Amino acid sequence: MIEKLSQKDIRAVKLGAVGAALILLFVLASEWHERWTAAKAEAAELDAKLKAIDVDKARQAGLTSIVPAFEMPLVEDEQSFLFRDKLSEQLKKAGIKNKPLKVQAGRKSPRTGYTLLHVTCSAKCRFSQALDLLAGLNENPYLVGIEEFRIKVDPKKRQEVDLDLVVSTFASLPKKRGGS
Amino acid sequence: MVAIVKEDNKLKSVELREQNGSWEILWARSSEGADADWALFAVECGLSLEPTGQTGADGDRKVVVGFNSAGTVFHRTTVPAVGAKEIASIVQLQAESRLPLPAEQIELAWRTESVQGGNMGITMAVARREQLRGFAQNVRRFRPEKILLDCEGIVRAWRTIFAGAERKAVVLSVGAWSTQVCLAENGRLSNAVVLDMGLEDFLTDAAQEQTETTERFTQDMRSVLELFGCAGQAELPVFVLSDGGPVYVSIVSSLRLAGFNTRVALPDAGRLSARSELGAEGLYEYRAPIGLALMALDGREDELNIFARLYSPTEKKEKKHWLYSPKLAGAAASVMLLLLALVAFAVDVKSPKAIQERLKASVSDADMDLLVERQELIRTVARQRPNVLELLKLVSGSGEKGITLNSLHFKKGQSVTISGEAGSNDQLRKFEKGLQDTKGIEDVACTPTMDSKGKKVTFKMTFHYKNFTKKKTAAQSLSLGRS
Repeated sequence: MIEKLSQKDIRAVKLGAVGAALILLFVLASEWHERWTAAKAEAAELDAKLKAIDVDKARQAGLTSIVPAFEMPLVEDEQSFLFRDKLSEQLKKAGIKNKPLKVQAGRKSPRTGYTLLHVTCSAKCRFSQALDLLAGLNENPYLVGIEEFRIKVDPKKRQEVDLDLVVSTFASLPKKRGGS
Repeated sequence: MVAIVKEDNKLKSVELREQNGSWEILWARSSEGADADWALFAVECGLSLEPTGQTGADGDRKVVVGFNSAGTVFHRTTVPAVGAKEIASIVQLQAESRLPLPAEQIELAWRTESVQGGNMGITMAVARREQLRGFAQNVRRFRPEKILLDCEGIVRAWRTIFAGAERKAVVLSVGAWSTQVCLAENGRLSNAVVLDMGLEDFLTDAAQEQTETTERFTQDMRSVLELFGCAGQAELPVFVLSDGGPVYVSIVSSLRLAGFNTRVALPDAGRLSARSELGAEGLYEYRAPIGLALMALDGREDELNIFARLYSPTEKKEKKHWLYSPKLAGAAASVMLLLLALVAFAVDVKSPKAIQERLKASVSDADMDLLVERQELIRTVARQRPNVLELLKLVSGSGEKGITLNSLHFKKGQSVTISGEAGSNDQLRKFEKGLQDTKGIEDVACTPTMDSKGKKVTFKMTFHYKNFTKKKTAAQSLSLGRS
């Protein structure tokens, strides 16, 4: 059979075989490449997670000094209640008699999946009490940060100050579930 | 078989064919001018040059080239019949002693004769490597099959054309300006010397029977025979190759008078057939290329191949170890590459799974996500949380006696504003400078106002505290996030 083939035919058969092999190789390589890409993406995702968790000691100590207590945000109502409750406790502990706390919801959060709640606190207190409050405020596990702080000395009684404080907390958006 | 040789500054070439045990000269040609180019002459002879390298019309034509042995030293010696390696060492040592050049500058060829009385005769030829290399370079373009010593061709021609049958004889091939004196033993060259005296010298003095030239020639011949180890062998036949011209008879007569057993050797036209009549003169003229062509047609491999290490008709491909094969290296590289890809793939596929499995053993998927989220949130909070207590300390620490603060207002994205009183402008300036120099406080601006009584200076001051009070652009937010 092969003897009957001319050189041209043999060359064509060879080219065909090489072409077929290349097509097969291409198909297999494509499939392989897809699997590899998926595996690499998975590895990268995992790597990012591990990096997020794995923080060196010095950095972790720095974080702890700024955020000594933290609770995962809950939905707005629960978070608002817990935050106000804790803040009230801290105000009481500092001996500050404040006006009723006001909550402002729906603030833009620096982190997706969460919203910011602002709680406004106004009080008349001694300067030392204000300092006590500020010193213990970081212990509030729901606190994100102080958004606004105003202190004004009473010109007649210089030990007394008018204090206006706006603090914030995260609240998870309804579709997300949070937990402590 | 085509043979080309340079003789008396002329290139001479013949083509010989062997047919039914006899030889036929197809053609004979010589170059017109002196110092003709080898390659051009080869083309004239119908040979193709490199780089065509195609067999084509030259497919069946083999070419041999004769090397003028004027620069070659021959030596005949006997060594005990020992092993081939030992003989090679002995020959090498003798060759070096014959030609006062370092071993790396000479080329040596030798052959053994029959063993007699436990001793083996050896004929060796030694020449300068550079000279041989230059010659090989000249002829390489038309790829001769072999480069042979022309004196070997002379001896071979003497045997065939000049009917030389003596077991031992001296053969004189007289050229225009030089004479080759070859000692032939058992039909092969065993020693040779080139004398710088030729036909032209004898022709000049042809009129006188006994001249200074012939005297010198006979003296030289005596020295040569002494060198050949044949001194005193009066019966040793000395053949002067001749075309029948009177000058050769004169040479023979001179030598006879000097006591040599000299004879004229005339070419026998019957020994070779020729397409075009060459005659005795033609055969004599082309004796050297004919002899070389006959040698090549003989197909013997025992010629003194002094070019063995310097020239090969086909480019010598050095046999390298199979490990150096580019194909093998390519195949190995491909396999390694494939292995690398496979290992990388396996690592990329298996590693995350292995890590996930280990993590699953300690924390669930949900816990893992929660852990990551919690850590991210803590970082965000840390970035969002200004230390107001620190701010108060910085402000109060920058002032001195006489400065009274009345209010402080901090709000994210806005400058910090403080107001108060100072005892004098000087105090206020110091307070302002103190704040400006404090780390974390920037862009301090002060607006002083003298009170109505002119005793105190009330002021309002603004500044930025770290990055909290600056209005953030998207880029700043990003950089803060990273920090």
